[in-house]
Amino acid sequence: MKIRNLLSIVMTVAVFLIITSLYTACKSAKEITSGKGGAQIWGENCMRCHSTPSPVSYNDVDWQTTGLHMRLRGNITAQETKKVIEFLQSAN
Amino acid sequence: MRLLLFTAAILIFGNNYQAKSQEFKPSSTQFMVRGYGHSGFEYKESDGEKESTFVGSVFNPLFIFTHNDKLLFEAELEFAFEGSDLEIGFEYANVSYVVNDYTTIRMGKFLLPFGSFIEKYHPAWINRLSNTPLGFGHDGIAPASGIGAELRGVFPINGIKVGYSLYTTNGPTLKDGSIEPEEAGMLRFNNFEDNNNGKAIGGRFSVFPFTNSSFELAGSFYSGTVGNKESPLYENVGASLYAVDFNYVKLLSGIKGIVDVKGQYNYSKVDDATYFELEEGETDPEAYTFENKSNAFYTQLSYRPTMAGSEFIKNLEFVGRYSTLNTPEESEWAEESTQTTFGINYWLSWRALLKMSYQVTNTKGGHDAAGGEVTTNGFFLHWALGF
Repeated sequence: MKIRNLLSIVMTVAVFLIITSLYTACKSAKEITSGKGGAQIWGENCMRCHSTPSPVSYNDVDWQTTGLHMRLRGNITAQETKKVIEFLQSAN
Repeated sequence: MRLLLFTAAILIFGNNYQAKSQEFKPSSTQFMVRGYGHSGFEYKESDGEKESTFVGSVFNPLFIFTHNDKLLFEAELEFAFEGSDLEIGFEYANVSYVVNDYTTIRMGKFLLPFGSFIEKYHPAWINRLSNTPLGFGHDGIAPASGIGAELRGVFPINGIKVGYSLYTTNGPTLKDGSIEPEEAGMLRFNNFEDNNNGKAIGGRFSVFPFTNSSFELAGSFYSGTVGNKESPLYENVGASLYAVDFNYVKLLSGIKGIVDVKGQYNYSKVDDATYFELEEGETDPEAYTFENKSNAFYTQLSYRPTMAGSEFIKNLEFVGRYSTLNTPEESEWAEESTQTTFGINYWLSWRALLKMSYQVTNTKGGHDAAGGEVTTNGFFLHWALGF
């Protein structure tokens, strides 16, 4: 077996173990966003890639779709996404 | 009496209409068309040769379909002029399924989370400059997309966030020089149908050490067999790619604006292989090999004075970027390049901007160059709009 293949398997196993332990740790950990409102999360996270969008840019339904798209693309947690969508829907 | 009946009818029908309006609920399936477009003017001067042109509009529609709050399909096309021809690019098309709060499965053609530039910052309305840093795009060493399956998600843990992505794809393919001898040893990343049975494995792991998510540090890898299974000379040739990237974006009240610093280092290593070249006047090709290692780096700093008193100044943004590219010294495509770019942007809205930049590129080698060192000065004026 080539070293590269062995390395890939080792890395995959390591990653799996890391993910599993993170998942376990996560279940008992408090969400870091629990104390933050949607407006604050919106202000902190959107600008990591692009300018902060105005709530009136989309309607309530579109924000739901956009929110899911951005959650997957932008490393935003489920809890953060939910709060940001609620904020944008309430402010538009 | 007539007036009373008329008023009563309005109240009854009005209430019914209002009740029906309040009953309206959006469907669980939703479809959106988003995307971006950009165009501009470019002037370049290299070795006394001057070139200026308006560059044609580029239109990238993005289609997003949500079947429900767990199932999402997204696809992006690119319409652009290449010379006098219209080229249509199939950027990506994939289906994502949200398994739980921490895991999403994705399948199809997707932008590879190898570093962050391609996946997050390459769209023209997000990229603060008119072109990509060295090492990305055509003849680049960083992969852009792949066909395969991916597992990704984000974990919040005791005040920090950890993001992960683990994927498998058809992987890159090796250019063995049989079609373009001057590109022997380069990797081609558009591998729509696998040229071997070895699937590539890749991943990106990132950490946000601050609770405000202002800083992200990540490492990526992408490794697999790249040689063609039908070629005994190259069937076992593999490649390993690595990247480290970071970004820090924060509104700093002390300097009344948003500071954005980002960067990415890419490294590529392809196994040793023997390639052949036919010298002018010779009939027998000559075999040669070389240490096939490449690297590229970029870092970018931008500042936007969003807290300035003047509306005009608020919309300005100042950008600087430095990037390098080094490809194997003994290859036909050996290149040592550095590039420095300065730009000023004006934001028309949160997703539309005018970009003006001046760029100096020093290139030694390159498979399109005759040799020697060439300095290219460029001026770019672009507009970009996301929608």
